[in-house]
Amino acid sequence: MMIILQANSIYKSYGSKLNKQEVLKAINLEIEQGEFVSIMGPSGSGKTTLLNVLSSIDHVSGGSIQIDGKEITRMKEKQLAEFRKHHLGFIFQEYNLLDTLTVKENILLPLSITKVSKQEADHRFLEVANELGITEVANKYPNEISGGQKQRTSAARAFIHQPSIIFADEPTGALDSKSASDLLNKLSQLNQKRNATIVMVTHDPAAASYSSRVIFIKDGQIYTQLNKGEQSRQAFFKDIMKTQGVLGGVQNEH
Amino acid sequence: MSINQLILRNLKKNLKNYYLYVFALIFSVALYFAFVTIQYDPSTAEAKSTIKGAASLRAASILLVAIVSIFLLYANNIFIKRRSKEIGLFQLIGMTKSRIFRILSTENFILYFSSLLVGIFLGFSVSRFIMMILFKITKVDAIATLHFSREALVQTLIVFGAIYLLIMLVNYMFIKKQTILGLFRVLSSTEERVKKLSVWEIIIGLTGILLIGFGYYISTKLFGGDFLTMNELFLAMASILGSVIIGTYLFYKGSVSFIFHLIRKKKGGYLNINEVLSLTSIMFRMKSNALLLTIITTVSALAIGLLSLSYISYYSAEKTAANYVAADFAFVKPDEVEKFKNALHEQHIKYSEKKIEVIQAKANLSHVMEQNLQGINSNPNKMQLPVVSDRDIEKWDISPNETVFTGYNDLLQKFMPLKNSGKIELKGKKLAIPQTFLGLKKEYYISWYFTAGGIPVAIVDQTVFNQLKNDLDPSIQTESSVFFGLHLSDEKELEKANQLFKKMNFGEDRNSDSRLDNSNQQKSNMGLMMFIVGFLGLTFLITSGCILYFKQMGESEEEKPGYTILRKLGFTQEDLVKGIRGKQLFSFGIPLVIGLSHSYFAVQSGWFLFGAELWTPMLIVMVIYVALYSIFGILSIQYYKKVIKEAL
Repeated sequence: MMIILQANSIYKSYGSKLNKQEVLKAINLEIEQGEFVSIMGPSGSGKTTLLNVLSSIDHVSGGSIQIDGKEITRMKEKQLAEFRKHHLGFIFQEYNLLDTLTVKENILLPLSITKVSKQEADHRFLEVANELGITEVANKYPNEISGGQKQRTSAARAFIHQPSIIFADEPTGALDSKSASDLLNKLSQLNQKRNATIVMVTHDPAAASYSSRVIFIKDGQIYTQLNKGEQSRQAFFKDIMKTQGVLGGVQNEH
Repeated sequence: MSINQLILRNLKKNLKNYYLYVFALIFSVALYFAFVTIQYDPSTAEAKSTIKGAASLRAASILLVAIVSIFLLYANNIFIKRRSKEIGLFQLIGMTKSRIFRILSTENFILYFSSLLVGIFLGFSVSRFIMMILFKITKVDAIATLHFSREALVQTLIVFGAIYLLIMLVNYMFIKKQTILGLFRVLSSTEERVKKLSVWEIIIGLTGILLIGFGYYISTKLFGGDFLTMNELFLAMASILGSVIIGTYLFYKGSVSFIFHLIRKKKGGYLNINEVLSLTSIMFRMKSNALLLTIITTVSALAIGLLSLSYISYYSAEKTAANYVAADFAFVKPDEVEKFKNALHEQHIKYSEKKIEVIQAKANLSHVMEQNLQGINSNPNKMQLPVVSDRDIEKWDISPNETVFTGYNDLLQKFMPLKNSGKIELKGKKLAIPQTFLGLKKEYYISWYFTAGGIPVAIVDQTVFNQLKNDLDPSIQTESSVFFGLHLSDEKELEKANQLFKKMNFGEDRNSDSRLDNSNQQKSNMGLMMFIVGFLGLTFLITSGCILYFKQMGESEEEKPGYTILRKLGFTQEDLVKGIRGKQLFSFGIPLVIGLSHSYFAVQSGWFLFGAELWTPMLIVMVIYVALYSIFGILSIQYYKKVIKEAL
């Protein structure tokens, strides 16, 4: 298996020298091609910061991150943007669709900067929209469709330019349970069918149970990892629940 | 944090955001103060008295106040809406509405009245400069002095104090009306939600374009002879105004989004970043700002149009003077010309004299007329014309059966279009002499005393001239039948000679006239007009530019989440700024281009009533307007840059 993302002892701190807040402390991480990895942890554990840092939206304070063999921590602003454009896809909790664009225009946005012909773009759009079941809303505006459809649109946008890795930040956070399980089913289908690598941050054990590996972090450090292996989703879900129970939210008073 | 600290902190933050508002406020106060100072200043008496200036200045200052108060109220409205969240927060932590109102009022008071004081100070210091401009363009010889006028100060304070109270009243009503929840929601409720293009909008869009086109079409016909009675003319003007203004409104309401929609449809969902930022945003924004944009467009069209017209007449003053007064000094009475010649001799000023005999005759022009002149009170079979002999006009040597017309201007061209050649007949009392018409020339050889303001002059051969002279119709002859033109040999002595001419006191009827005097007179008439329209236009330009800028500020904040998405997707800041430039080109460019085009058609329809030059003065006015206006577009791009930078 090829390693697509490798993070070596990354640190991230906010604030000034006197009042420093360490959010990530010496995190080491490897993600292989085609993996569907969830990052879980209580509020304030640094999971979103980790995702932002891994996805080049935020800078690390120390350590190195390699995606597809390219070191991204030393890239300049412009190079980073270029890198995101070609190698990364994003799905966010608040959908992050542009209100003034139709579903189709939103999805095709990442292709506009690459040199993809219009026919090829159309072809790819139909494919991914079919897979995610949003073909019939292609010409609607985001405020005319449901939350689930919005999030699937957002997912389609993340897949359309065939990025090396897709980052999802609480993608089911704003969805009802039916839409959430719909979306996760689609994501894991796409993960298998396209061999796409997905890194997802979530606090929902049910969502995490769709992935093949769950990384738990607490107070900025990796606490433990769970592998799904050959077990069923239900069994994996129970494992995750157990671990989360141990992890807890608040430190016990001594 | 105490209330005072809160106020101070808000002030500091607002000053950074609204420096343009403060600038516009200071500018308008300064201008108003300067205007009022000039009004009360004794040294401007000459500029005012010659041209009923006092009344125009007063009217101008009232208009200025109107523009400024609408601007201030509107800007205040934008600001308070933007701060609704903050107000909601104050309420949430338990402040009473009257307390919040007091905080806002104090804040506003400090900002407003310190700008007012700075403005008055500035106005005082520039009033002398403004007065110098006024004297310069009205050709008044006076020295601008610096007087601090107490009346002006009091008047300025009262007027702007009243505007402040008005603003406070509006704020009070705004706060009073709001509930905590409502305040949090204000921003989202005012912006129209994104919708699909409906058939109705397509109709609106097409109607808008058609109405504007119709208005433009009528305007080209306005003085073309299709509308002849006063009533028809008035009706035509009213329908031009109506259809253009309504058309403009519909254009913003529907046409823009309709056109953009067509462009977008052609792309089939495959938009690049520039189109994402400009097309898609503007097609929804313009609709909700349609009324504001219509007002801005109409008033800027008015400002550009009036400025162009007054500048046209100012600019062509010398040329019109040359048309009216066909020499440096023109006379029709032999005794007056002798008197002036003697005066010139005494001062050793050299000159050349030109004497032209002029008779009045009737002419049959019905074969060379482009169309029938039902409206004008003269019969094309018996038009009265001044006739001169080719012996007196060196440039021409005409055969006995030919006639040339000269002194033909653009105004006449509109009302009485003539063909380039044809058969005409010159008539004495009994005689009728057939002639071949050789066309129209623009040169002027004799003064307006003989041409009744703008009738062309016929040049004929000496023999024909003699025939007509022997068969005069005495009832139509002018009192004097000789034109005396004096040309100075040295242009530098013109000023000196003009002083002599003025001392002669040849009478108010201006039968004897000096070209320089005539042109200066026109300049001083139009100069004040231009001065007033110019400064009003400038105020309007700055205030409307500010409003568009504030709107863009709001838009950029609203679109910030979108920029965040785009930057996360991997678009660089430069990509986004490039798109924003495109967007601003449209946001500022569409109202500007429509305003310019409106004023172009307005000026085009009637400029010949004002002067003899169209393009140079109109283009100068337009270029200056565009340049000043673009500053606001550039400033807004700077603001967008900041927002984009902070977006990730």
